[in-house]
Amino acid sequence: MDLVDLITEKRFLGQEFLTWLWFKSEERGGAIALPHGDIQVVFEQHMLLEYGEGDAHQQVICQGQQSELKEAKTGLTTGKKLEQARIRLARDEHEWRLSLTGGLMEYRNVRPPKTMAAGEDSDEAAREGRILDRIGLLEIMVRTGDELFRLFLNIRLSTAWDAEKDRIRGWITGR
Amino acid sequence: MGLLSTSTHFVRYAVEGELPADFWNFAAEHIAHAAFRDIDDNYEERSVGWVSVDNMFDSAFAGASFAIADYLVLALRIDERKVAPSVLKKFCLKEEEKIKKEHEIPRLSRRQRVEIKENVRLALLKKSLPTAAVYDLCWNLAQGSLFFFSTNTKVHEVLESLFKETFGLHLVMQIPFLAATHLLNEMEQQQLADLRPDIFI
Repeated sequence: MDLVDLITEKRFLGQEFLTWLWFKSEERGGAIALPHGDIQVVFEQHMLLEYGEGDAHQQVICQGQQSELKEAKTGLTTGKKLEQARIRLARDEHEWRLSLTGGLMEYRNVRPPKTMAAGEDSDEAAREGRILDRIGLLEIMVRTGDELFRLFLNIRLSTAWDAEKDRIRGWITGR
Repeated sequence: MGLLSTSTHFVRYAVEGELPADFWNFAAEHIAHAAFRDIDDNYEERSVGWVSVDNMFDSAFAGASFAIADYLVLALRIDERKVAPSVLKKFCLKEEEKIKKEHEIPRLSRRQRVEIKENVRLALLKKSLPTAAVYDLCWNLAQGSLFFFSTNTKVHEVLESLFKETFGLHLVMQIPFLAATHLLNEMEQQQLADLRPDIFI
Protein backbone atom coordinates (compact mmCIF):
# COMPACT_ATOMS: atom_id res chain seq x y z
CA MET A 1 0.00 0.00 0.00
CA ASP A 2 1.52 3.37 -0.93
CA LEU A 3 1.73 6.31 1.46
CA VAL A 4 -1.28 8.16 0.06
CA ASP A 5 -3.53 5.10 0.53
CA LEU A 6 -2.07 4.48 3.99
CA ILE A 7 -2.81 8.08 5.01
CA THR A 8 -6.43 7.71 3.89
CA GLU A 9 -7.08 4.20 5.18
CA LYS A 10 -5.28 4.54 8.52
CA ARG A 11 -6.24 8.15 9.25
CA PHE A 12 -8.46 6.93 12.09
CA LEU A 13 -5.50 5.68 14.15
CA GLY A 14 -4.11 9.12 15.03
CA GLN A 15 -7.61 10.55 15.52
CA GLU A 16 -8.55 7.75 17.93
CA PHE A 17 -5.24 8.34 19.75
CA LEU A 18 -6.04 12.05 20.19
CA THR A 19 -9.52 11.25 21.53
CA TRP A 20 -8.13 8.63 23.90
CA LEU A 21 -5.41 11.07 25.04
CA TRP A 22 -8.01 13.75 25.80
CA PHE A 23 -9.99 11.19 27.86
CA LYS A 24 -6.83 9.96 29.60
CA SER A 25 -5.74 13.51 30.47
CA GLU A 26 -9.09 14.24 32.13
CA GLU A 27 -9.28 10.90 33.93
CA ARG A 28 -6.72 11.97 36.58
CA GLY A 29 -6.86 15.76 36.30
CA GLY A 30 -4.13 15.99 33.66
CA ALA A 31 -1.74 13.40 35.11
CA ILE A 32 -0.85 10.37 32.99
CA ALA A 33 1.39 7.60 34.31
CA LEU A 34 4.34 6.64 32.13
CA PRO A 35 6.94 4.01 33.11
CA HIS A 36 9.34 6.65 34.50
CA GLY A 37 6.60 8.54 36.40
CA ASP A 38 3.69 10.91 35.90
CA ILE A 39 3.58 13.59 33.23
CA GLN A 40 0.98 16.33 32.73
CA VAL A 41 -1.16 16.50 29.58
CA VAL A 42 -3.77 19.23 29.42
CA PHE A 43 -6.03 19.84 26.44
CA GLU A 44 -6.33 23.58 25.91
CA GLN A 45 -8.84 25.87 24.31
CA HIS A 46 -8.63 24.96 20.65
CA MET A 47 -9.77 21.80 18.88
CA LEU A 48 -10.51 20.86 15.31
CA LEU A 49 -13.06 18.16 14.55
CA GLU A 50 -13.84 16.73 11.15
CA TYR A 51 -16.56 14.65 9.60
CA GLY A 52 -17.54 13.26 6.22
CA GLU A 53 -15.24 12.13 3.45
CA GLY A 54 -14.33 13.36 -0.03
CA ASP A 55 -16.55 16.23 -1.21
CA ALA A 56 -18.63 16.01 1.97
CA HIS A 57 -15.55 16.49 4.20
CA GLN A 58 -16.00 19.35 6.68
CA GLN A 59 -14.12 20.71 9.66
CA VAL A 60 -15.39 22.42 12.80
CA ILE A 61 -13.26 24.51 15.18
CA CYS A 62 -14.16 24.47 18.87
CA GLN A 63 -12.43 27.05 21.01
CA GLY A 64 -12.95 28.88 24.26
CA GLN A 65 -12.76 28.08 27.94
CA GLN A 66 -12.80 24.52 29.30
CA SER A 67 -16.58 24.55 29.57
CA GLU A 68 -16.85 25.34 25.87
CA LEU A 69 -14.89 22.21 25.02
CA LYS A 70 -18.18 20.47 25.83
CA GLU A 71 -19.10 21.44 22.29
CA ALA A 72 -16.21 19.30 21.07
CA LYS A 73 -17.38 16.37 23.21
CA THR A 74 -20.87 16.78 21.80
CA GLY A 75 -19.27 16.61 18.36
CA LEU A 76 -17.76 13.24 19.26
CA THR A 77 -21.23 11.90 20.12
CA THR A 78 -22.39 12.79 16.62
CA GLY A 79 -19.55 10.88 14.98
CA LYS A 80 -17.12 13.74 14.39
CA LYS A 81 -13.41 12.86 14.70
CA LEU A 82 -10.86 14.83 16.68
CA GLU A 83 -8.30 15.95 14.09
CA GLN A 84 -6.25 18.56 15.94
CA ALA A 85 -5.84 19.56 19.56
CA ARG A 86 -3.88 22.21 21.43
CA ILE A 87 -1.99 20.52 24.24
CA ARG A 88 0.10 21.61 27.22
CA LEU A 89 2.64 18.93 28.05
CA ALA A 90 4.78 18.98 31.18
CA ARG A 91 7.52 16.48 31.96
CA ASP A 92 10.09 16.85 34.75
CA GLU A 93 10.93 20.57 34.89
CA HIS A 94 9.98 21.30 31.26
CA GLU A 95 6.73 22.44 29.65
CA TRP A 96 5.77 22.50 25.98
CA ARG A 97 2.72 23.85 24.18
CA LEU A 98 1.85 22.27 20.87
CA SER A 99 -0.93 21.43 18.46
CA LEU A 100 -0.94 17.80 17.39
CA THR A 101 -2.81 16.61 14.30
CA GLY A 102 -4.40 13.16 14.20
CA GLY A 103 -4.30 12.24 10.52
CA LEU A 104 -0.61 12.95 9.86
CA MET A 105 0.78 13.42 13.38
CA GLU A 106 2.14 16.87 12.56
CA TYR A 107 3.52 19.03 15.36
CA ARG A 108 2.22 22.57 14.87
CA ASN A 109 2.76 25.83 16.77
CA VAL A 110 5.23 24.10 19.06
CA ARG A 111 6.52 26.31 21.86
CA PRO A 112 9.36 24.53 23.62
CA PRO A 113 10.51 25.55 27.10
CA LYS A 114 12.82 28.57 27.32
CA THR A 115 16.30 27.54 28.34
CA MET A 116 19.56 29.08 29.49
CA ALA A 117 21.11 28.46 26.08
CA ALA A 118 18.83 30.93 24.28
CA GLY A 119 21.41 33.74 24.39
CA GLU A 120 22.89 36.01 21.72
CA ASP A 121 26.43 34.61 21.75
CA SER A 122 27.73 34.20 18.24
CA ASP A 123 30.76 31.96 18.76
CA GLU A 124 30.63 28.45 17.31
CA ALA A 125 30.36 26.61 20.63
CA ALA A 126 27.42 28.80 21.70
CA ARG A 127 25.74 28.26 18.31
CA GLU A 128 26.09 24.49 18.59
CA GLY A 129 24.90 24.64 22.19
CA ARG A 130 21.73 26.53 21.20
CA ILE A 131 20.97 24.14 18.36
CA LEU A 132 21.62 20.98 20.41
CA ASP A 133 19.58 22.36 23.28
CA ARG A 134 16.61 23.00 20.98
CA ILE A 135 16.89 19.60 19.27
CA GLY A 136 17.10 17.91 22.67
CA LEU A 137 13.91 19.60 23.87
CA LEU A 138 12.03 18.69 20.70
CA GLU A 139 13.24 15.09 20.93
CA ILE A 140 12.07 14.79 24.55
CA MET A 141 8.65 16.10 23.48
CA VAL A 142 8.41 13.66 20.57
CA ARG A 143 9.67 10.77 22.71
CA THR A 144 7.00 11.57 25.28
CA GLY A 145 4.42 11.60 22.48
CA ASP A 146 5.69 8.18 21.38
CA GLU A 147 5.41 6.81 24.92
CA LEU A 148 1.81 8.02 25.10
CA PHE A 149 1.12 6.57 21.67
CA ARG A 150 2.63 3.23 22.78
CA LEU A 151 0.38 3.30 25.86
CA PHE A 152 -2.63 3.82 23.60
CA LEU A 153 -1.54 1.04 21.20
CA ASN A 154 -1.05 -1.40 24.12
CA ILE A 155 -4.71 -0.92 25.05
CA ARG A 156 -6.07 -0.52 21.52
CA LEU A 157 -4.56 -3.85 20.38
CA SER A 158 -5.58 -5.78 23.50
CA THR A 159 -8.79 -7.22 24.90
CA ALA A 160 -8.77 -4.33 27.41
CA TRP A 161 -9.93 -2.02 24.60
CA ASP A 162 -13.64 -2.83 24.97
CA ALA A 163 -13.64 -1.80 28.63
CA GLU A 164 -11.56 1.32 27.84
CA LYS A 165 -14.00 2.21 25.05
CA ASP A 166 -16.92 1.96 27.52
CA ARG A 167 -15.11 4.35 29.86
CA ILE A 168 -14.49 6.77 26.95
CA ARG A 169 -18.19 6.60 26.01
CA GLY A 170 -19.16 7.34 29.61
CA TRP A 171 -16.75 10.29 29.68
CA ILE A 172 -18.09 11.70 26.40
CA THR A 173 -21.72 11.43 27.44
CA GLY A 174 -21.04 12.51 31.06
CA ARG A 175 -22.44 9.31 32.57
CA MET B 1 9.26 29.22 11.73
CA GLY B 2 12.24 26.93 11.96
CA LEU B 3 14.33 24.89 14.34
CA LEU B 4 15.33 27.89 16.47
CA SER B 5 12.07 29.86 16.29
CA THR B 6 10.04 30.56 19.40
CA SER B 7 7.08 28.79 17.80
CA THR B 8 7.55 26.18 15.11
CA HIS B 9 5.87 23.49 12.98
CA PHE B 10 7.43 20.19 12.01
CA VAL B 11 6.85 16.66 10.76
CA ARG B 12 8.88 13.53 11.37
CA TYR B 13 10.56 11.38 8.77
CA ALA B 14 12.36 8.03 8.95
CA VAL B 15 15.55 7.91 6.87
CA GLU B 16 15.68 4.59 5.04
CA GLY B 17 18.90 3.06 3.77
CA GLU B 18 22.46 2.53 4.98
CA LEU B 19 24.70 5.52 5.67
CA PRO B 20 27.73 5.50 3.36
CA ALA B 21 31.13 4.74 4.89
CA ASP B 22 33.08 7.87 5.89
CA PHE B 23 29.75 9.62 6.13
CA TRP B 24 30.84 13.16 7.04
CA ASN B 25 33.20 13.45 4.07
CA PHE B 26 30.51 11.96 1.81
CA ALA B 27 28.00 14.47 3.22
CA ALA B 28 30.35 17.47 2.76
CA GLU B 29 30.96 16.56 -0.86
CA HIS B 30 27.33 15.90 -1.74
CA ILE B 31 25.91 18.87 0.17
CA ALA B 32 28.37 21.14 -1.67
CA HIS B 33 27.15 19.66 -4.94
CA ALA B 34 23.50 20.34 -4.05
CA ALA B 35 24.14 23.67 -2.28
CA PHE B 36 21.80 26.54 -3.09
CA ARG B 37 22.72 28.66 -6.11
CA ASP B 38 21.52 32.23 -6.30
CA ILE B 39 19.28 33.34 -9.19
CA ASP B 40 19.11 37.05 -8.31
CA ASP B 41 21.43 37.95 -11.20
CA ASN B 42 20.02 35.70 -13.91
CA TYR B 43 16.56 34.91 -15.28
CA GLU B 44 16.10 31.39 -13.94
CA GLU B 45 12.62 30.71 -12.65
CA ARG B 46 13.50 28.54 -9.67
CA SER B 47 16.43 27.38 -7.57
CA VAL B 48 16.44 24.72 -4.86
CA GLY B 49 19.37 23.78 -2.63
CA TRP B 50 20.92 23.56 0.82
CA VAL B 51 21.95 26.50 3.00
CA SER B 52 23.12 26.87 6.57
CA VAL B 53 20.38 26.61 9.20
CA ASP B 54 21.22 30.00 10.73
CA ASN B 55 22.13 31.95 7.60
CA MET B 56 20.21 31.61 4.32
CA PHE B 57 23.07 33.35 2.46
CA ASP B 58 25.63 30.77 3.59
CA SER B 59 25.85 27.88 1.14
CA ALA B 60 29.59 27.31 1.67
CA PHE B 61 29.25 25.64 5.12
CA ALA B 62 32.68 26.70 6.36
CA GLY B 63 34.02 24.22 8.91
CA ALA B 64 31.23 21.76 8.03
CA SER B 65 28.77 23.89 9.99
CA PHE B 66 26.02 21.37 9.20
CA ALA B 67 27.72 18.75 11.44
CA ILE B 68 26.61 19.21 15.04
CA ALA B 69 27.45 16.29 17.31
CA ASP B 70 25.53 13.29 15.96
CA TYR B 71 23.12 15.47 13.94
CA LEU B 72 23.16 16.86 10.44
CA VAL B 73 21.47 20.25 10.52
CA LEU B 74 20.62 22.02 7.27
CA ALA B 75 18.06 24.27 5.65
CA LEU B 76 16.29 23.78 2.34
CA ARG B 77 16.08 27.04 0.40
CA ILE B 78 13.65 27.54 -2.47
CA ASP B 79 13.84 30.74 -4.51
CA GLU B 80 11.14 31.31 -7.09
CA ARG B 81 10.10 33.98 -9.54
CA LYS B 82 6.34 34.22 -9.69
CA VAL B 83 3.84 36.16 -11.75
CA ALA B 84 0.47 36.86 -10.18
CA PRO B 85 -2.35 35.27 -12.27
CA SER B 86 -4.19 38.61 -12.49
CA VAL B 87 -1.05 40.35 -13.82
CA LEU B 88 -0.47 37.58 -16.36
CA LYS B 89 -4.09 37.79 -17.52
CA LYS B 90 -3.93 41.56 -17.96
CA PHE B 91 -0.72 41.51 -20.04
CA CYS B 92 -1.93 38.55 -22.13
CA LEU B 93 -5.13 40.42 -23.02
CA LYS B 94 -3.11 43.53 -23.81
CA GLU B 95 -0.80 41.57 -26.12
CA GLU B 96 -3.74 39.78 -27.79
CA GLU B 97 -5.43 43.11 -28.51
CA LYS B 98 -2.24 44.52 -29.93
CA ILE B 99 -1.76 41.56 -32.32
CA LYS B 100 -5.41 41.60 -33.44
CA LYS B 101 -5.13 45.29 -34.25
CA GLU B 102 -1.79 44.87 -36.08
CA HIS B 103 -3.07 42.01 -38.22
CA GLU B 104 -6.62 43.34 -38.51
CA ILE B 105 -8.15 40.03 -37.42
CA PRO B 106 -11.24 39.63 -35.21
CA ARG B 107 -9.94 36.76 -33.09
CA LEU B 108 -6.88 34.62 -32.39
CA SER B 109 -6.57 30.85 -32.58
CA ARG B 110 -6.10 28.80 -29.42
CA ARG B 111 -2.53 28.04 -30.49
CA GLN B 112 -1.75 31.76 -30.86
CA ARG B 113 -3.21 32.53 -27.44
CA VAL B 114 -1.19 29.74 -25.79
CA GLU B 115 1.96 31.07 -27.47
CA ILE B 116 1.23 34.62 -26.37
CA LYS B 117 0.61 33.46 -22.81
CA GLU B 118 3.95 31.66 -22.60
CA ASN B 119 5.88 34.59 -24.13
CA VAL B 120 4.20 37.09 -21.81
CA ARG B 121 4.82 34.84 -18.80
CA LEU B 122 8.54 34.59 -19.62
CA ALA B 123 8.81 38.35 -20.17
CA LEU B 124 7.11 39.07 -16.84
CA LEU B 125 9.23 36.47 -15.02
CA LYS B 126 12.36 38.27 -16.17
CA LYS B 127 11.06 41.45 -14.58
CA SER B 128 10.09 39.84 -11.27
CA LEU B 129 12.44 39.36 -8.34
CA PRO B 130 12.77 35.88 -6.80
CA THR B 131 11.17 35.27 -3.43
CA ALA B 132 13.02 33.08 -0.94
CA ALA B 133 11.66 30.47 1.47
CA VAL B 134 13.79 28.51 3.92
CA TYR B 135 12.86 25.31 5.79
CA ASP B 136 15.14 23.77 8.43
CA LEU B 137 15.81 20.12 9.03
CA CYS B 138 17.72 18.15 11.63
CA TRP B 139 18.71 14.58 11.02
CA ASN B 140 19.50 12.30 13.96
CA LEU B 141 22.07 10.03 12.35
CA ALA B 142 22.13 7.47 15.17
CA GLN B 143 18.37 6.96 15.12
CA GLY B 144 17.75 7.47 11.40
CA SER B 145 15.04 10.03 12.15
CA LEU B 146 14.62 13.53 10.81
CA PHE B 147 12.55 16.58 11.79
CA PHE B 148 11.53 18.83 8.91
CA PHE B 149 10.20 22.23 9.83
CA SER B 150 7.27 22.66 7.47
CA THR B 151 3.84 21.07 7.21
CA ASN B 152 3.37 22.04 3.55
CA THR B 153 2.99 18.90 1.41
CA LYS B 154 4.40 20.58 -1.72
CA VAL B 155 7.53 21.51 0.20
CA HIS B 156 7.73 17.94 1.52
CA GLU B 157 7.92 16.70 -2.07
CA VAL B 158 10.79 19.09 -2.81
CA LEU B 159 12.62 17.94 0.33
CA GLU B 160 12.15 14.23 -0.40
CA SER B 161 13.47 14.68 -3.93
CA LEU B 162 16.53 16.81 -3.00
CA PHE B 163 17.36 14.56 -0.04
CA LYS B 164 17.34 11.47 -2.29
CA GLU B 165 19.43 13.30 -4.88
CA THR B 166 21.96 14.46 -2.27
CA PHE B 167 22.33 11.48 0.05
CA GLY B 168 20.88 8.59 -1.99
CA LEU B 169 18.52 7.77 0.91
CA HIS B 170 14.71 7.69 1.09
CA LEU B 171 12.64 9.79 3.47
CA VAL B 172 9.38 8.26 4.70
CA MET B 173 7.00 10.54 6.56
CA GLN B 174 6.00 9.09 9.91
CA ILE B 175 2.23 9.18 9.81
CA PRO B 176 0.67 7.52 12.90
CA PHE B 177 0.41 4.07 11.31
CA LEU B 178 4.11 4.03 10.32
CA ALA B 179 5.23 5.59 13.61
CA ALA B 180 3.28 2.82 15.36
CA THR B 181 5.07 0.06 13.47
CA HIS B 182 8.38 1.30 14.91
CA LEU B 183 6.94 0.95 18.42
CA LEU B 184 5.45 -2.54 18.06
CA ASN B 185 6.76 -6.10 17.78
CA GLU B 186 6.02 -8.28 14.76
CA MET B 187 2.83 -9.83 16.14
CA GLU B 188 1.46 -6.44 17.20
CA GLN B 189 2.30 -5.02 13.77
CA GLN B 190 0.05 -7.67 12.20
CA GLN B 191 -2.74 -6.80 14.65
CA LEU B 192 -2.27 -3.13 13.74
CA ALA B 193 -2.50 -3.90 10.02
CA ASP B 194 -5.84 -5.63 10.63
CA LEU B 195 -7.22 -2.85 12.85
CA ARG B 196 -10.42 -1.13 11.73
CA PRO B 197 -11.84 2.22 12.90
CA ASP B 198 -13.88 2.12 16.09
CA ILE B 199 -16.68 4.38 17.19
CA PHE B 200 -17.10 6.07 20.56
CA ILE B 201 -20.87 6.60 20.43
